[in-house]
Amino acid sequence: MEFKSEKLENGLVIIGELNKSAKSAAVGFFVRTGSRDETGNINGVSHFLEHMLFKGTDKLSALEVNEAFDRTGAQFNAFTSEENTVYYAAVLPEYLAEVTELWTQLMRPALRDKDFNLEKNVIKEEIAMYKDLPSFDVMDRCRTLHFDGHPCGYSVLGSEESIDNLTAEQMRGYFARRYAPNNIVLACAGDFEWDRIRRLAASSCSSWQKQTVERELGHSEGSRKKQRLEKANLAREHICLMSAGVSAQDPRRFAASLLGTIIGDDVGSRFFWEIVDKALAEAASMQFGAMDGTGAFCSYIRCSSENVAKVLDIVRNIFSDLSKSGITKDELTKAKNKILSALVIKNELPMGRLVDLGFNWTYLQEYRAIEDDVNAIKSVTVDDVYSLIEQFRPGDFTQLSLGPVRNS
Amino acid sequence: MAEKFDRHILKNGMVLLGEPMEAVESVAFGFMLPSGAARLPKGCCGASNVIADWIFRGAGDKNSRQLSDAIDGLGLVRGRSVGSSHIAIGAALEAGNLEQALGLYADIILKPSLKDEQFELARQLAIEEVLSLDDDPRHKVMLKLREQFYPDPLGRSTVGDIAELKALTAQKSGQIIKEKFDLSQTIFSVAGKYNFDAVCQQIERLFESEQQKNTESADLGARKGKYTHIDNEGAQVHIGLMTKTVKPTDEDYYDARVAVSVLSGGMSARLFTEVREKRGLCYAIGARYHGLKEAAGVMCYAGTTPDKAQETLDCIVGEFSRLGEGISEEEIARAKVGLKSALILQSESSSSRAGAIASDYYILGRVRSLDEIKDKIEQTTVDSILAFLRNSPFRDFTVVTIGPKQVKVQ
Repeated sequence: MEFKSEKLENGLVIIGELNKSAKSAAVGFFVRTGSRDETGNINGVSHFLEHMLFKGTDKLSALEVNEAFDRTGAQFNAFTSEENTVYYAAVLPEYLAEVTELWTQLMRPALRDKDFNLEKNVIKEEIAMYKDLPSFDVMDRCRTLHFDGHPCGYSVLGSEESIDNLTAEQMRGYFARRYAPNNIVLACAGDFEWDRIRRLAASSCSSWQKQTVERELGHSEGSRKKQRLEKANLAREHICLMSAGVSAQDPRRFAASLLGTIIGDDVGSRFFWEIVDKALAEAASMQFGAMDGTGAFCSYIRCSSENVAKVLDIVRNIFSDLSKSGITKDELTKAKNKILSALVIKNELPMGRLVDLGFNWTYLQEYRAIEDDVNAIKSVTVDDVYSLIEQFRPGDFTQLSLGPVRNS
Repeated sequence: MAEKFDRHILKNGMVLLGEPMEAVESVAFGFMLPSGAARLPKGCCGASNVIADWIFRGAGDKNSRQLSDAIDGLGLVRGRSVGSSHIAIGAALEAGNLEQALGLYADIILKPSLKDEQFELARQLAIEEVLSLDDDPRHKVMLKLREQFYPDPLGRSTVGDIAELKALTAQKSGQIIKEKFDLSQTIFSVAGKYNFDAVCQQIERLFESEQQKNTESADLGARKGKYTHIDNEGAQVHIGLMTKTVKPTDEDYYDARVAVSVLSGGMSARLFTEVREKRGLCYAIGARYHGLKEAAGVMCYAGTTPDKAQETLDCIVGEFSRLGEGISEEEIARAKVGLKSALILQSESSSSRAGAIASDYYILGRVRSLDEIKDKIEQTTVDSILAFLRNSPFRDFTVVTIGPKQVKVQ
């Protein structure tokens, strides 16, 4: 593996990790913008914009864009989160320059009114689709309750109302503020020619104007509020729990990930043995998510209405036991083995590698080889995990439940 | 770059397949156990799901907890799925731990503890999973679609049936394991970094046994209803539709694959362009080829708000019908490059390869090389695909909807 990097005068960073033994290559534009960078009246604009980039440029129509990607056989798409919008493609090595060139053009989109109005329908269908997926809906609503006024609580999709009210003009304004070259990282991984990508980016992106881009950072401890919502058509109780954690910049993020695995991995975790293995809930998992300047542990539980009280009692006991006695050395070793295997296997694919490469630069402005992460995980101690539990008290959570109407 | 495949067959008929991959440090392995949903006795729908859980609840000299700890101790990224024909269990892991992992899986397959109290828990979880489907209409509509489309028992739900799960006993499930974990029809596959001689010796030592009597082949029943609607006061109408097409063993299989790709391969394909891009009817829309050994179909999903449901269905059916009227060279070229590229991208993953070679062997009786598949895709032409569509047009749909509004099916 060989790492390369370059920064254009306008601030656009181009990075690449070369792996000549790969059969494919992946490219991504990592834009440091998401729902946390919005305001209430334009909530959903980052995600809407992600859709609009596929609608083409002054020179390319939407259909021409899709045809151009498909001609290369690319597996391409984009995703938007609370704080990142990522555009990516995985292709055979000979096509990487072509899809990179295409993405560089799309990063300066036309944002036509006509496309905007038609795409509103698609966005509203996407919102409706997730409403029918309570496992997603409950997490989205819990995030808002947990962050309670902190910008990380804005929904990525926005609401039907915010999307209805959004104008193309507002979107163009947001684009101009957020898609500055100094707020974007262009990353490549796998088998590709670094010089060609570097030259191509320099010639296509140097004219983009640098500007001041801000983000409201600041940690959130979370509201710890509890709320239950009812929906007549639901069959099960969907419960989301959130509590505060360390940020993506904090070296303790590896210990936090391990804690998430120990408490709530799909199999072999405390949630698993105490809840799922005993068939009290069909799903009970926890994950740690590191964010810019803050972080959160997020759990999801799905069970029958009859089992809710029992399951929540067990959850409270698990957390109280953790704060009293911490974790065992054996638990930590197992969690490390699981995380390390998954990390190595994911990074064997250029597309998997691209994600870590791009996010490490976005959050840390540094290159981390896989070995750096492997070593960081290996060096976490039982005490490191315990001090996280002491400081962040995962048992002190925000709770949102979504379930069927209760007969009282 | 011709790939090399490893193959060895034990005296009891169990097949061992391997594909070495130079660029990876990992290895992935899988066992396809001939005990999928369609092979179950009548009245046991969901038993495969229970069994796939139960056998992990203690095996050999280890109880449930010890077994799970041993698996996690080796850092296994576990995989487990129930299909129409098989229960598939396996894992991806760091290559150095393969021998120990295979030892554990041999116990799980050959010496599961099968304790009664553990059966109850596995059964309860399977029931919970069926009940949870009501809160996942998108998943449910596709399960129901397979059930309605394929002749019974091929489309039987891989998740299960509530009444039959409630009636299922430990004794019955134990008997199914005894009868259906037939090593003569079990396929083991491994891909990534491994030593095939060592793997064969170990598997032979662990699994060699008397040849079992060969199992039955089931009689296929009739297809079910043409249109099924399930009422649900959700936000969208979830539409699933499926039409019959050629099987992977048929000679025009690759024409079918390229035709489906013209309909729904990439974002420039017809369904995405017509239904979503031009009309804004859906967010999620797509069709794919779905093949079993005995039958195959083209399966399509769309989710849309109730007022647009009819227009969406009509538009989709229109695109399926219109395909035989003409396809451009450009469209075929994009479909081909998309299929070939997906094939190579998947070939970088040891898990994908372990799954693909086992599935090839089950369906075709041999493993296809990537070059063979690429050549076959390359050989299709506008003429061959249009001729295929004249002989086997995409029509006569099985339709299932879940949502607040029904549609009219012609």
